[in-house]
Amino acid sequence: MAGTATASERRNPLAPYLLIAPGVLWLLVFFVVPIATLAKTSLAGEGVPWWDGYARAFTDYGGFMLRSFKFSLFATLVAIALGYPLAYVIAFRSGRFKNFLLGLVILPFFTTFLVRTFAWKTILNDAGPVVSLLQWLHFLGPDGRLLNTTWAVIGGLTYNFLPFMILPIYVSLEKIDRRLTEAAQDLYCSPGRAFAKVVLPLSLPGVFAGSLLTFIPASGDFINAELLGSPNQRMIGTVIQNQFLQVHDYPLAAALSFVLMAIITIGVVAYARVLGTEDLA
Amino acid sequence: MNDSDRPDDLPQLIRRAISRRQFVGQSALAAGGVALGGSLLAACKGKAPAQSTGPLRVSNWPFYISPETVPDFQKDTGITVQYSEDVNDNNEFFAKIDEPLKRGQSIERDVIVLTDWMASRLIRLGYTAPFDDTKFPNKANLVDALVNVSYDPGRKFSVPWLSGMTGIGYNPAKTKREITSFNDIFDPKFKGQVTMLTEMRDTLGLVMLGMGKDPATCTVADAQAAAAKITQARESGQIRAFTGNDYAEDLASGNISIAIAWSGDIQGLHADNPDLRWIAPSEGAMLYSDIMLIPKTSDRQDLAMAWINWCYDPTHSAKIVIEAPYISPVKGTMAEIEKVQPDLAKSPLLNPPADLSARLHMFRTLSDEEDTEFNRIFQAAIGA
Repeated sequence: MAGTATASERRNPLAPYLLIAPGVLWLLVFFVVPIATLAKTSLAGEGVPWWDGYARAFTDYGGFMLRSFKFSLFATLVAIALGYPLAYVIAFRSGRFKNFLLGLVILPFFTTFLVRTFAWKTILNDAGPVVSLLQWLHFLGPDGRLLNTTWAVIGGLTYNFLPFMILPIYVSLEKIDRRLTEAAQDLYCSPGRAFAKVVLPLSLPGVFAGSLLTFIPASGDFINAELLGSPNQRMIGTVIQNQFLQVHDYPLAAALSFVLMAIITIGVVAYARVLGTEDLA
Repeated sequence: MNDSDRPDDLPQLIRRAISRRQFVGQSALAAGGVALGGSLLAACKGKAPAQSTGPLRVSNWPFYISPETVPDFQKDTGITVQYSEDVNDNNEFFAKIDEPLKRGQSIERDVIVLTDWMASRLIRLGYTAPFDDTKFPNKANLVDALVNVSYDPGRKFSVPWLSGMTGIGYNPAKTKREITSFNDIFDPKFKGQVTMLTEMRDTLGLVMLGMGKDPATCTVADAQAAAAKITQARESGQIRAFTGNDYAEDLASGNISIAIAWSGDIQGLHADNPDLRWIAPSEGAMLYSDIMLIPKTSDRQDLAMAWINWCYDPTHSAKIVIEAPYISPVKGTMAEIEKVQPDLAKSPLLNPPADLSARLHMFRTLSDEEDTEFNRIFQAAIGA
C-alpha cells in the first residue's frame, strides 16, 4: 500500500494530458478541421439558399442512400452468417492451426482493395467458370450474368469487409472463459442451449463491433458498385465521388457526405441501444 | 529524316549517333559521357539554361505512345523523362490540378495532355504557359487545319498530341450482324451488353447524332432529349455500364457486344480478339483532339518545349501513331508510315478518307455555365 502511494505521488500531474495529447491533436488536425471545412463547403452554394445542397441531397439522392443502406445491410448480414461460424471455429476448434487460420483471414489485405475487387470482375466474367457452372446447374438462364448485377455488388461488399467482421467476433469469442460453458452444461444445458445462453450473449459485443466495421465503410464504398455493378446499382459513395470530381458541385457533395454521416450516426446509436452494449457504443 | 524508321537500319543508327554527339558537344561534356545513361546527362544539363534540375514530367492518357518514344527522346536530347499515364478523365484530372494552379503552386508536371474542350478551359483560366516558339522550330509541321482554333488562335499555348474519333466498337461474333447505325446500340437484342463513355461530349454527342441533331449547334433541349434517351436505356437495363478506358477489356473478353469506343483502342485489342471492329456510325462520329499544354507553374518549360518540338518531328510522330493508331497532327507523318508499314498508312483510323471526314462532328464550345448545366443533365442521365 505504501509503495503505491509513493508511486502516485511521484507521478507527474500532467501525465494524463500528455498521454492523450497526441490523440487529441490527431483528431483535431485530421477530423475536426476537415469536418469544419466540409461543413463550410456544404453551405457555400452560389446564388442559392444555404440549405440548397441538403435539400437536393434528400430530394434527388435519397434513393441512392436508401440503396446503399440496403446493400450494406445485406452485406453485413451475409458477413455475420459467414463470419460468425468461421470465427467460432478459429476460436474454439482450430487447435494449433489457430494462428495459421487467422493469418489466412488477414492474407487478402496484402493485396490492395482495388486489385481484389478487379479480380472479381474476372471471376464473375460472362464467359468465366462461375457463370458457366451456374448456367449448367440452371440457376442462371443462358443469357444470365452475375457481373454488373446487385448480387455481384453485395458479394463484393461482403468479400471486401468480411475480415472486419471475423476479427472482432473472434476476439470476443476468444476471451470467453470456457468454464462458463462447462458450468452451463453441468447445469443440464444442452450444447445448443449453452451456446445460446452463454457464448452468444458474451460474443455480441464482437458482432456489434464487426457490424459497424462492415456496415459503415460499406455504405460509403464507391469501388464495388462502380466495378461490379451497373448504373442501376450505383451507391451514394460513387455519387459523392462524381459530384466532387466530375460535376465539381462541391456544396452538394459536401452536403451528401454530411447527410450520410448523420444517418449513419443515428443508426449506430439506435443499434447500440437495441443491442445494449454500452461499453462499445 | 529521309531514312527508314527501322531500328536495324544503318543510316538511322548513324543519324542517331550524330545527334547524340552534337548534344555532347553542346553541353561540353567529355566524349566518355556518351556511355553514361541519360539521367546523368540530364543532371549535368541542369547547369545549362534550363530553369531547374530534375526530369521532365509528362502526364498523358494510357496507351497513347510508343514504348520507344521516351527512350529515343532521352537518347536524342539527354533529357530524362518521367512519363506518367495518369490522365484517365478530363474532369477528374481538372479536379486534381485546379486548386494548385489557381494558387500558382506546382502540380509536379511540365507537359499535360487534355482534350480540346478542357484545354480551352485551362487556357481561358490562365493556367498554361505560352510556348517559346524559338525553341519550337517544328511548329511548322502542324497541319494547317489545326493552326487556328477558336480557343488558341495561332497556337500560342497549345498543340495537339493526337486526334481521334469516337464511334462504335463491336464484337461481330456477339452481335451476329454488321453494325452501321448508332441506334443499333439501343436494339433490345443487345440488352445488358452495351457500354457508353462517361466522357459527356462523346456519349451525348453520339446520341444526338443518332437523333439527327448536330452537337456543333446543340441546345439545352437537345441535351435533355438525348439524356432522356440514355436514362431510358439505363433504366431498362440496356446499358451495362458507363466507363472510361476500361470498356476495352469488357469488349475483348466478350462481356459486352457493342460500345461507344475511341477509334484507336480497337486496334490494340486485336491481340486479344482479332474480330473486334470500330466503325463511324452512318449518322456521324465525334472528332476530338488531345492537346499538349505546359502548366504555368512548371519550372522546366525549356525541357517541355524540347519534348514538344521533338514529338513534332514526323519520324517520331510516325512511331507514336504506329503504336497508338490515331490521327497525327504532324505533317509528313503519313509519308513516314508509308515507308515502314504501307498497309497501316491506308487505315481510315490514321488517315480518314473524305467520306469519313465529312461525317465527323465536334461538340460546340460551352460556356462555364452551360458546361455545368450540360454536365448536370448528363450525370443525372448516367445515374451518377
